Amino acid sequence: MINVPISLFFIISTSAVIILFVLAYFLIAKSEQITSLQNSFIKLRNSFNDLDEQAKLIVKTDLELNKAQEESEKRLHDLDNLQKISRLISTTLEENELFLRLENTLKTNVNYEKTLILLTHETGELNKKISLGFTPDEVTLILTNLQKDLSLMDSLKNGKSITSINAARIKKTALNELFHVNHFIISPILSQTSVVGLYFVGNKSNASPITEGDEELISVLANQIGQSLENARLFEQVYRSSQQLEKKVQERTQQLEKALTEVQNISKTKSEFISSVSHELRTPLTSIKGYAAILMSGKLGEIPLSVKERLQKINTHSDNLVNLINDLLDISRIESGKAEMNIATCNIKKIIDNVADLLTPQMKDKKINWVAKVSADIPEMHLDSSQVDRVFINLISNAIKFTPENGTISVEALLEDNHVNFSVSDTGIGIEKNDIDRLFDEFFRVENKINQNVKGTGLGLALVKKIVEAHRGKIWITSEINKGSTFNFTLPIEHNPEKV
Amino acid sequence: MATYISIGFSDNLDPLTACKEACNMATSQLNHERVDIALVFVTAHYNPKLVLPPLQKILNQCNLIGCSTAGLILSDNIKTSGLSLLLITSDDLKIGAGVINNIDQNDIMDSGNRFARNCLENYGQYNRHLFLFFIDGLLKNTSTFLKGMQASLGNAFPIIGGGNCDDFHFKNTFLFYKDQVLRQAAAGVVLGGHSVTGVCSYHGWKPLGKPRIINKSTGNVINIIDNKPAAHLYTEYFGEEVENFRKHNLGMMEILYPLGIYVEGSNEYLLRNAVDFLDDGSIVCQGDVPQGAEAHIMIGNKDFCRQAAIRAAQEVQDALNGQDIKLVFIIESMARLKLLGRMAYQEILEIRNIFGASVPIFGIYTNGEIAPFQTVEKIRKSYLLNESIVITGIC
Repeated sequence: MINVPISLFFIISTSAVIILFVLAYFLIAKSEQITSLQNSFIKLRNSFNDLDEQAKLIVKTDLELNKAQEESEKRLHDLDNLQKISRLISTTLEENELFLRLENTLKTNVNYEKTLILLTHETGELNKKISLGFTPDEVTLILTNLQKDLSLMDSLKNGKSITSINAARIKKTALNELFHVNHFIISPILSQTSVVGLYFVGNKSNASPITEGDEELISVLANQIGQSLENARLFEQVYRSSQQLEKKVQERTQQLEKALTEVQNISKTKSEFISSVSHELRTPLTSIKGYAAILMSGKLGEIPLSVKERLQKINTHSDNLVNLINDLLDISRIESGKAEMNIATCNIKKIIDNVADLLTPQMKDKKINWVAKVSADIPEMHLDSSQVDRVFINLISNAIKFTPENGTISVEALLEDNHVNFSVSDTGIGIEKNDIDRLFDEFFRVENKINQNVKGTGLGLALVKKIVEAHRGKIWITSEINKGSTFNFTLPIEHNPEKV
Repeated sequence: MATYISIGFSDNLDPLTACKEACNMATSQLNHERVDIALVFVTAHYNPKLVLPPLQKILNQCNLIGCSTAGLILSDNIKTSGLSLLLITSDDLKIGAGVINNIDQNDIMDSGNRFARNCLENYGQYNRHLFLFFIDGLLKNTSTFLKGMQASLGNAFPIIGGGNCDDFHFKNTFLFYKDQVLRQAAAGVVLGGHSVTGVCSYHGWKPLGKPRIINKSTGNVINIIDNKPAAHLYTEYFGEEVENFRKHNLGMMEILYPLGIYVEGSNEYLLRNAVDFLDDGSIVCQGDVPQGAEAHIMIGNKDFCRQAAIRAAQEVQDALNGQDIKLVFIIESMARLKLLGRMAYQEILEIRNIFGASVPIFGIYTNGEIAPFQTVEKIRKSYLLNESIVITGIC
């Protein structure tokens, strides 16, 4: 009985010890496992924390990058806007149009809660040009305050912007209250000489603070507005001046037109008078010439030689007077458009040769050398040959008169396009420059020794000019004292009645 | 009769001229006198009260819904100033429009519920495919409103929509419903009938850093994360910059580094923008945040955005299985517009390449998007999303 319990006790004890050992072993093993797990957990937690630290670093770097990116995009956006606005406002020279365009662009492209552009009037008064985000009452209040307290306008005179970043605290608070914002930029609008206005932008929301980039943008925009405004105003001044000038020119033109009409009327009256007087003179002159001729013929009885000589003078002077009257009548007819042009086909070489034949005796008397060069390619021309005869006769006669003995007179005719260039040159005494301009005036005679000795009417060259112009030609003179003169004129090949 | 869709646009700053130009463009393409529904989106540059009357007059008092936006998405452009118009005339597509006002003054959930019922009453007994709505983007309880809608429409019913917005100033937002200009409201339509629609949304943001546990949250307010005031999470990552962000209404941080909530079985994290930090260190989000959920700081970039857009477009294309797509409608976060900046149209171009140049694209940028979100339950319940692009194909 005793042995059994003892052995049982032994067995149980031994088993218990073994179990304890096993348990202890497992406990130690588990404990090591737990410790290992705990270590792993700590390691894991540390890794997590390390990762989290790295994440913080990533976030901060990412934030910096995003900020830089946002700033650079904002700059790009601002530059884009600036370019758009500059282009828009610089392409108008009308002040109201300038601000209309600016307002439309600012509404959509420049994102500030409030915008105000004020301009100083000549009287010193501030005027609103653009207002966005303000009520009319707010604008009135701002204008009243700014006109009462000129310190803001004075501080803008240095050309620099005042912003919620750089303004002194007291000033900043006052401006914040005045404009109902928390962030603002006020830039002066400058002309070349003074501050002509201000450009205000502002935000009430703290989500939209002002940056230095904003300040640069608004400052550049304000400058651009100032320049465009100055251009517009200068243009306005120039425009007004040109309007005044145009008005004056119109007035003067009207006065001149009136004077011209008067002159034309006088000229017409003069022509009519000359025509009338000439006709009236020609009738008695014809009688005088007729009676003188009868007396000279001796039909009424023999007359003494001395009387005959006097009668001869009466006849000569009567002829001169008739010629003068005829010239006057021709000029008068051409001026009044009453002259009839007998246009016919003419050979210009023949005309020149005929005139030369007619005047050869006079040229021979003075031993003048005659040269005529007429281009062979000149076709037959449509002219009033009797009138053109007179042109050549007058010009060559004049040349003979002023060319000394042994001199040369040359006539040249060259074809050019649809007209012929003529020139009548002499180696005479030449004409003073001052006299050239008046040479074609009626009754004008150059004062020189030859003219003093030779009688003339002063109508020859006037008549020449009228005839050339009646053919739609032009006439002009070149001359050199003591070397000679050249009378150049043109005549068209074909006669054009419309042009006449 | 088939479904006819046309788009009009004008960037004329005069409201009357803009309405006339956009309407002329759209109606001349539509070639039908009857207009069943008009969607109108305008940027904040326009006075809505001057826009609506001419639109109503020209479009013959048709069903008209619309809202303000930060930008207009068109087939060939992104416009941050202008008025866009989509006209639909169809015997295949059935439409039931509705509106709810004064959401902030009433029980939000009840408002959502009444809004959905209102639209359904106007819809009739046809097959329902999709609910499209726009809501005031300045409301902070859109998630609750959505829950109210889902109480009537069912959790699985696809709801898409967006919060209206302005030019990033979060002030001048408005909605259009027929002849009314509304604020603190929602307006929308139930779409159905014989038409087929395909919807997909992605954001592309990736989780960063270790996972955090949201210990306490109430609706859209996160109180405690990892046993610390929730805002501490942002302080850990951004240090002194947080103060700078707080001064500027969180701006960049909200857009670039939202919170991502892990939803089991989903393809992407559910994003929540931090719109405000409270004095007790709580974070106010745009949508509801579940207590106990795992959260991460999220990071995004232009390439992630582009890839997400391509993926969403491709899934819509696949879902519609080669059917003739008549319109691609896009609701996209205004945050993405800000992030993408000058590259914004490149994203639309990628989408256009997938659907083909002949398929018109029409859309807006919104402040908060609503779209079905893929989960393990495969229900595709709609959620309020952030930073997302929602692409809908209509056949």
